[in-house]
Amino acid sequence: MNDMTHKGLDLATQTAKISASGVQVHYGTNHALKDVDVTILDRTVTAFIGPSGCGKSTFLRCLNRMNDTVASCRVSGQILLEGEDIYDRRVDPVQLRAKVGMVFQKPNPFPKSIYDNVAYGPKIHGMTRNKAELDAIVEASLRKAALWNEVKDRLDATGTGLSGGQQQRLCIARAIATSPEVLLMDEPCSALDPIATAQVEELIDELRHQYSVVIVTHSMQQAARVSQKTAFFHLGNLVEFGETGAIFTNPKDTRTEAYITGRIG
Amino acid sequence: MSDSDSHIVSSFDRDLEALQAHLLRMGGMVEAALVTAAKALEAQDLPAADTVITGDKAVDALEEFIQTEAASLIARRAPTASDLRLVLAVMRAAHSLERVGDYAKNVAKRTRVMGRSAPVDGHAGSIRRMSALVAKMLEDAQLALVRKDAALAAAVRARDVEIDQMYNTLFRSLFTYMMESAGSIGPSMHLHFIAKNIERAGDHATTIAEQAIYLATGSRPSEERVKGDSTSATV
Repeated sequence: MNDMTHKGLDLATQTAKISASGVQVHYGTNHALKDVDVTILDRTVTAFIGPSGCGKSTFLRCLNRMNDTVASCRVSGQILLEGEDIYDRRVDPVQLRAKVGMVFQKPNPFPKSIYDNVAYGPKIHGMTRNKAELDAIVEASLRKAALWNEVKDRLDATGTGLSGGQQQRLCIARAIATSPEVLLMDEPCSALDPIATAQVEELIDELRHQYSVVIVTHSMQQAARVSQKTAFFHLGNLVEFGETGAIFTNPKDTRTEAYITGRIG
Repeated sequence: MSDSDSHIVSSFDRDLEALQAHLLRMGGMVEAALVTAAKALEAQDLPAADTVITGDKAVDALEEFIQTEAASLIARRAPTASDLRLVLAVMRAAHSLERVGDYAKNVAKRTRVMGRSAPVDGHAGSIRRMSALVAKMLEDAQLALVRKDAALAAAVRARDVEIDQMYNTLFRSLFTYMMESAGSIGPSMHLHFIAKNIERAGDHATTIAEQAIYLATGSRPSEERVKGDSTSATV
């Protein structure tokens, strides 16, 4: 759960993967995110919680420039990935998204084979020289996503034919096939049943040995279960950011307290 | 926006309020048992001592009920932050009260086996006053808990020194009796255990006060409590 020393993954020894400072987001005249400073640690699961419209998904989408595709959206402030400004003009958003993978609320596999779903990213980024290398990446990614044993005999079957939980794990395999440094998850379990949810949570715990994971979730219990750091957003402000165990037993801000105890929606 | 506001799910509020109401009811029973036992000792009122002995079953049953309700609330509501601290504090306080109930019962049992004798007549009044102070500490500790009042809880905690001093005085006095007359050793030993039981009940009131501080502030009181009981270094 929130075992900080689990397998040597001590929070204190983790270095910053993403450093955001003074991040502001406007959608037209709507000030959606107000002056957010946050440091996302390497090999740590960071949960973003808060009521709908609080800015948590907006902030998540800033981290791989998904907001670029929204015409009315203006982002200011600074977001550094390993010390490099991701909003620098020289940064190619497509390359950035290979480093900062994303998994969405609803499983959205391509209407292609299981194999092609995972192979897509490495192919477009020219990560492999031959079929054997690609095969190896597909297998390794499916193994990391804890899906290999369930699909290894039907890699040519269509990805959309899998169960919801399997589809979500396929999307996770697709996201990690490009060897990202950060994995963003926007409510990855909200369309899944409790067993598939537990499998994805188990997977998140595995993934943090290699990646920095950021998860947006409406389930506070899920945030408490899977994350080591929790950030609470409210009305576009980052209200509180701290160690998950402390946030859920003794939050410092009354707004955090009111939200996690079910007093404000 | 503050934590005193109601939950969106109002049945959650009702569950938490019910839990605290059960704790207060249990506290009332235990305070009464302690005071009754000490009065029974002073008045050699054996029927009153019997009611304390038989009444402890109801205290134990209520503690069991509170623990079950608290566990159920944790399972159903998954409380967090101050809600979680409240449930944990109530569980620990109920356990402390159950122990105090046992001490009251023990005082009543000893009252039954002690006849009227010089050391009894000389000390029962002190023991009654000590019990009344502990009962008040228990009451205030519970109030501090349900009101999330850290200042009141700290005051209760400070009052335990007084109980320890009263116990010290009783201990020394009884010790003198025993040295002077071998015949008084039996009743003096009983009285000493009674005084010790009440002193321990005071420690449990302190524990409940500490739970109230944890509930109100999110952290346990840091500074070491002043200990007034020096008898461990006396003999």
